[in-house]
Amino acid sequence: MDNSKRSWMSRIGIVVIAAIMVEIISVVQYQRTRRLMDEEMSVRSRVILNSVANDIAHTLELTETTMRENLWEIVENLPYPDSAFTSVRLLIDDNPHVVGGCLAFVPHYYPSKGRLFEPYGHKDGGKIVLEQIAGPDHDYTKNNAYQRVTASLIPEWSDPYYFGADSIRLATYSFPVFDDADSLAAVCGLDIDLSWLGDTLNSRHHFKSTYGLLLTKEGELVAGPPESKVPEAEVDLIVDIINGNAPESMVKGKLIQTTNLNRPPYWQLARVYSTEEVFARIRKIRLQNLLMVLLGLAILAFMINRYARNEKRLRETTAEQARIAGELEVARKIQQEMLPRTRVDGVYGTLEPALEVGGDLYDYYIRDGKLFFCIGDVSGKGVPSAMLMSVIHSLFRTISAKMESPSFILRALNENLCRDNESNMFVTFFAGCLDLYTGKLHFANAGHDKPFLITQSASVLPVKANLPLGVFPGTAFEEQECTLSPGDALLLYTDGLTEAKDQNRKNFGRDRVRELLDGCIADAGMTPEKTVQSLSQAAHSYSGQAPQSDDLTMLLVKYEPGELLQDRITLSNDTADVERLSAFVKDFCGRLELDHKAASSLRLALEESVVNAMNYAYPAGETGEITVYADSNRREVRFTVVDSGWPFDPTTVLSADTTLDAQNRPIGGLGIHLTRKLMDSVSYCRKGTMNVLTLTKSII
Amino acid sequence: MKTTIQEIDGKIVATLSGELDTAAAPQAQTDLQPLLESKGKDIVIDCTELEYIASSGLRLLLGILKDAKEVGSRVVLKNVNEVVRDVLDLTGFVSIFEFE
Repeated sequence: MDNSKRSWMSRIGIVVIAAIMVEIISVVQYQRTRRLMDEEMSVRSRVILNSVANDIAHTLELTETTMRENLWEIVENLPYPDSAFTSVRLLIDDNPHVVGGCLAFVPHYYPSKGRLFEPYGHKDGGKIVLEQIAGPDHDYTKNNAYQRVTASLIPEWSDPYYFGADSIRLATYSFPVFDDADSLAAVCGLDIDLSWLGDTLNSRHHFKSTYGLLLTKEGELVAGPPESKVPEAEVDLIVDIINGNAPESMVKGKLIQTTNLNRPPYWQLARVYSTEEVFARIRKIRLQNLLMVLLGLAILAFMINRYARNEKRLRETTAEQARIAGELEVARKIQQEMLPRTRVDGVYGTLEPALEVGGDLYDYYIRDGKLFFCIGDVSGKGVPSAMLMSVIHSLFRTISAKMESPSFILRALNENLCRDNESNMFVTFFAGCLDLYTGKLHFANAGHDKPFLITQSASVLPVKANLPLGVFPGTAFEEQECTLSPGDALLLYTDGLTEAKDQNRKNFGRDRVRELLDGCIADAGMTPEKTVQSLSQAAHSYSGQAPQSDDLTMLLVKYEPGELLQDRITLSNDTADVERLSAFVKDFCGRLELDHKAASSLRLALEESVVNAMNYAYPAGETGEITVYADSNRREVRFTVVDSGWPFDPTTVLSADTTLDAQNRPIGGLGIHLTRKLMDSVSYCRKGTMNVLTLTKSII
Repeated sequence: MKTTIQEIDGKIVATLSGELDTAAAPQAQTDLQPLLESKGKDIVIDCTELEYIASSGLRLLLGILKDAKEVGSRVVLKNVNEVVRDVLDLTGFVSIFEFE
């Protein structure tokens, strides 16, 4: 839990870092763009400002030019005082920016007109109204502009001023007028409407916040945008900048650029634009981009998270599957290792589970010169069957170690399986016991497939079916027997063989098995191993691509006794008969060509066992018989001591303690001890009314 | 199975020859009875010709040893062959008898 939280946090962390980096890149790019645009805007703005300045200068110059061009007519009219009105009309009429004009004659220029004479005209609607305005209450000689021009004789522009009821912004251009005698006759004043300047200044703005101003040298506003647009404080600021002689300045997010007309009246122009407004759009685009990127990252984070979670799940599932597969592999190995690994001549088995582990089993081992073998098929497949299979396997080993009769073995197995069998599993089972010296075969069946008996030809062994193991407690399993001749064989198999399915779900069938076995009999080179392998191959190639439908198990038991040496002697329960036994054993060992030492060992072991039976099998005073069978295949010797006395298992008698000193040594107990020490195996079983003690010893 | 008993240099020497199996044991028991009256003399059992011994024979030897020990006599087994020696080994008798 803690781990997954941490990894989730780390994933979120990565996305956050990515977002921060995107933002940093975006900011850097924005700043760079902004710097470039700032420069560009500044240049462009200045170009516009200069162009406006040029326009204005040009217009003013045009006005002045108009004056000069009309000057000769005024001069020509000078000799005629009343023609002055015509001159004024001429001046006003000729220039659209001129709204009014006057000729202020120097005092007493026309004696007929008295001291002051100033014809004046102004545009009223479409008409030009002319009048003489000089008088006692209007002494133009006191006018500053008049005085400056008459003194300097240089034309000049007045500062702008408001005029009339409409408060029109005007400026007056005053210039001297000389007569033919080159003496100053009058000062001509032309009133110029300045309202067009504002239009010129503010007609080409891309941005709302941008505006242009025209100011006098002293900072008085000549023309500008509609007044609502310009805060007074800003105008003061602009004046400060102009006075500071800075061409441009950046104040509070506004770039203020200034220039002047570079000609009289040397007015100042200022252009102000808000960089904020310009970049507001870019910033908006930037923010939109950023939002898009963040959204993308969020989606990416979500996807990464989902992917990581899915991958983790997948990893966990894969690991779990690998673990189960690993455990199944171990189980498979264990199961294969439970199968008998000691090779016994003439016996070959194979088990191929359909899944990793199977519910089939087979087993075989030799005890007392007898081959105990079995085959079984637990209902179902896979792990549950395999678990029951291993239980049965060990039960078979345990039970058959003490019992010889297959019927008894099955019965004991059945009782064990029926106890607490709540899962209702059952097992078909076949057990056999083949006496390797006699070929006598005892067997019992519990619902398993009937084995094939392979003699001159292959046939089905006539076996009683009986119930499978684990169905009902108390079931009896009839014991059957037959005798195998050397070379005869038995093929045990599970239904994985006969019920191997082809593509069309058809069974391999018993007849096919029989035919194949007949083929094997004809082939002298077929060992049990080769026979089983050829059957397995045949079943697999029959199934083809179809999956193996069931566990495939086979066990082939071939009776190959080799050269046998067999003898028997019947003794009475009198120790004097030991002499006969001694002679019998000596003779038998002589035929086996055993050396004196080996022969003595066998003789002693057998003597001790037989004497034991002579002494204890029958009640005192009662005569009884003891029969000794001696068998050998030149690899092993087997003695079987049979009596019909009381049930008595000498193998349960405690061995003498051979570590005690002489004084404490008991007299008895040495016999069975010696037998055990001298022989490879000593086993007892009660068969009917007989005690059967079997001794074996390898003589290779 | 043949047994002889002689007294040589103050020791009782019993010679066993042949096979001391269960059938021969009762006779040997009778034949060796004089050893039980050794009266403190050491006993030597010459096994040179003893070819075989069964547990009944071992019991016989054990009886002789126990009686001898009671009267303070020693019992020595002489010239034990390999087959008999193996049996004595298997039964732990090698640790309670003296050998020569």
